[in-house]
Amino acid sequence: MDSMKTIAVIFGGRTTEHDVSIVTAIASIIKPLEVQGGYQIEPVYIAKDGSWYWDSKLKDIATFQSGEIEDFMRKAPKVQLSIDNGLTLIKSSQFAGRKQYKKIDVVFPAMHGTHGEDGELMGLLEMANVPYIGCGVAASAIAMDKVLAKQVTTSAGIASTPWVWFNAIDLERDLKGTLATIATLQYPLFVKPAHLGSSIGITKVDSKDQLMNALEVAIHYDNRVIVEQAVNNLVEVTLPIIGNDDPIPAMLEQPLLKSEDFFDFETKYMQGGKKGGKKGGSSKQGAQGYSQIPADLPKDVYDDAIKTGLEVYRVTGCAGIARVDMLIDIKTKKVMFNEINPMPGGLYSHNWNKAGMSNVDLVDKLVQLAEERWQKSQKITTAFSTSYLKQF
Amino acid sequence: MIKRIVSFFGPSYPKTLTYMLQSTEYEVGPYLAWYWRTNNFGEVAHRRTLAKTLRAKLLSAGLSIGMLIQIVIAIIILIQGIKLQRGSDIYFGIALLLSYPVVWAHIIVIPLTIARIFIVKPKERHAVKASAKVFEQHEAVKIAVAGSYGKTTMKELLLTVLSEGKNVAATPANKNVAISHAHFAKKLSGSEDIVIIEYGEGAPGDVARFAKTTKPTIGIITGLAPAHLDKYKTLDSAAKDILSLADYLQDKNVYINSESEPLKKYKKSQFHSYSQQSVLGWKIDNIKIAISGMTFVMSKDADRISLSTNLIGRHLIGSLALCVALAKQFGCSNEDIIAGVAKTSPFEHRMQPREIAGGYIIDDTYNGNLEGVRAGLQLLQELTARRKVYVTPGLVDQGKEAKNVHQEMGKLIAKSNPNKVVLMKNSVTSWICDGLSSAGYTGEIVIEKHPLDFYTNINQIIAAGDIMLLQNDWTDNYK
Repeated sequence: MDSMKTIAVIFGGRTTEHDVSIVTAIASIIKPLEVQGGYQIEPVYIAKDGSWYWDSKLKDIATFQSGEIEDFMRKAPKVQLSIDNGLTLIKSSQFAGRKQYKKIDVVFPAMHGTHGEDGELMGLLEMANVPYIGCGVAASAIAMDKVLAKQVTTSAGIASTPWVWFNAIDLERDLKGTLATIATLQYPLFVKPAHLGSSIGITKVDSKDQLMNALEVAIHYDNRVIVEQAVNNLVEVTLPIIGNDDPIPAMLEQPLLKSEDFFDFETKYMQGGKKGGKKGGSSKQGAQGYSQIPADLPKDVYDDAIKTGLEVYRVTGCAGIARVDMLIDIKTKKVMFNEINPMPGGLYSHNWNKAGMSNVDLVDKLVQLAEERWQKSQKITTAFSTSYLKQF
Repeated sequence: MIKRIVSFFGPSYPKTLTYMLQSTEYEVGPYLAWYWRTNNFGEVAHRRTLAKTLRAKLLSAGLSIGMLIQIVIAIIILIQGIKLQRGSDIYFGIALLLSYPVVWAHIIVIPLTIARIFIVKPKERHAVKASAKVFEQHEAVKIAVAGSYGKTTMKELLLTVLSEGKNVAATPANKNVAISHAHFAKKLSGSEDIVIIEYGEGAPGDVARFAKTTKPTIGIITGLAPAHLDKYKTLDSAAKDILSLADYLQDKNVYINSESEPLKKYKKSQFHSYSQQSVLGWKIDNIKIAISGMTFVMSKDADRISLSTNLIGRHLIGSLALCVALAKQFGCSNEDIIAGVAKTSPFEHRMQPREIAGGYIIDDTYNGNLEGVRAGLQLLQELTARRKVYVTPGLVDQGKEAKNVHQEMGKLIAKSNPNKVVLMKNSVTSWICDGLSSAGYTGEIVIEKHPLDFYTNINQIIAAGDIMLLQNDWTDNYK
């Protein structure tokens, strides 16, 4: 048992995607890691108020579904972290003032959205010098800022649909100017909060009279907004990728939507991915239950999308795992970058399964990639001797 | 240790005993053998739970009440002994108090034995006698199916193929003992063209008795393999029992699977043989096998029939071909035969392919003999896959042959050469490993300590391009 690697799976968080994170962690990460048999799993839950908890009970989805979590949080001690050249979880054993310590070998962040997927957690883990799964600080921050991601990919020559961006304060101070900027685009448009995932706060705008409402929704969720021109003859595709220096693509996946539809949060997670489907339907399937793998595209377009996805992964500095969403004008065969998701919901394991990688192999590979990246980082020189202090 | 003691004296102990009785089909011998090798009664029911039948409820209640009475008497004697300061009473009281779990685990077999001797057996004898009259008076073609393996499959194939053109009845599922035949006889309308009866063999003399009762006009012997050797002791003894069907038929209208190696030496010249090459003058060729099903062509003189089935496994071609040949003999049209064969599909837990997480498992968990293992491994070898995984706990009821059978099994697995072999840890695992090692298997071997965990998490370890063959599954009473 002692020779087993200890993996902390961190999930939950102060984010609108808190619940999605719980499902990703328990169903798609903890379960296969346990089945693999070679790891000791320590679930670490970040509550909506930002408190950290660590307990084996948190591996059980029923704890969250039954509401038992509220009672647990009232009684359980909160977790402290020691980042003394490695990460150690510390909590009170609630027995004679003793404390319980657990040294962590690898961290598996299962965070979606703000304060977790956006690089904040990765910064903490970098400070602790502990291997962790997924993109680093910079790539996570770029990926989780749709504006920044577009700026980086555009500068690398990767095509996007026409887009503009502004801060919430711009709308308040210069509404006319902001609307004039947006007017350079052709309807229909998509108005999106810059930092949120899972399609939260996104509105499709077909005409000018719907625009203000969409902008208000977006700034309700974020202080930065991106407005994109809709793509004609649209085929939306997504490409899960894993790897560090030599990324491996899974299969190009095509959500099966009509051109006028898009996946909002409700469609993605609450209706089994079926637009107009029964509310409260198969939430386990999500968008993943309503897509075509591999995408039904001409070979040249398919190959071009794979190439574009890998290029986006490279130029944004992704590592470990990510998912690149792309938009294709099927008539002109133009492939355009849409956004990156540095921690795909459920790891997009359904796609990896189709690509020939089982859930266990996937998490195993991700742990291996995290360790490889960490070992490589240890070879980088971080100290430099100078006489600066003596001269001061 | 504490868990073991709690499991012995705990409130669920009567239910556990009832579960053990039910799992061993209320057979006293296997129940007591299981009882005495059990250390922790809290860990008995892994794979299933107690089915709450009337008999189970009565037994469980009887055990609980009996134990409670013994506890009360023990406490009364103990208190009396303490009050009167009588040492013998105190010791007797303690002995009574501590012994109730063992006492009642054994007392319970007494009413079962009495009921079996004085109620169940006479009732069964009467029902069997009545069924003999029904079978005798029935004018249908009566096909008896016997063998160490493949009986249920053969019966179901005959039923499916012949039903397209004929009125056919067959014994249900794997109900294949005298009392099941008696129940089946009661349901016959008398208008059936063909009646199919499966003979289960459990102990010497069984098949001869079944034949005497059901009076078949045609006999099919599906194969011979080491099975139920705890009762038969030797393969020869099992063969004699199965072949008593041919004796009853005076060696006429007997169809024998010529692909069963051990059966060959018992084959008489009067018998008709069937195989994947030929049957009753029909030639079989163009066999194509995929995970989705098989196709083949049968031809005789100018007659040529192209057939497709959802079944998988080359070993089934011979059985299907016999069904086709018999259907032709019974006057069925080619169209009916083609439609009947097309309707044949894998039976539950027998070479049944299922797609999971993009990959395929082949569920053959009802397969419990070496010939079935051979057939499954041949199929695994023939199918194309990125990664092939073979999963088994081994075979049960192999008697003194257990070691040889499992070493042979290991060699067969090595010959099929899957990428990975998963063995459910039990008393035969090391013998399978010996066989694998002696045949030079170089793939990955995993010894799984928690079979249930493995089976319930297959979706986590399989992906597109994988084929995983699951052969046999041990219930809780086998270790």
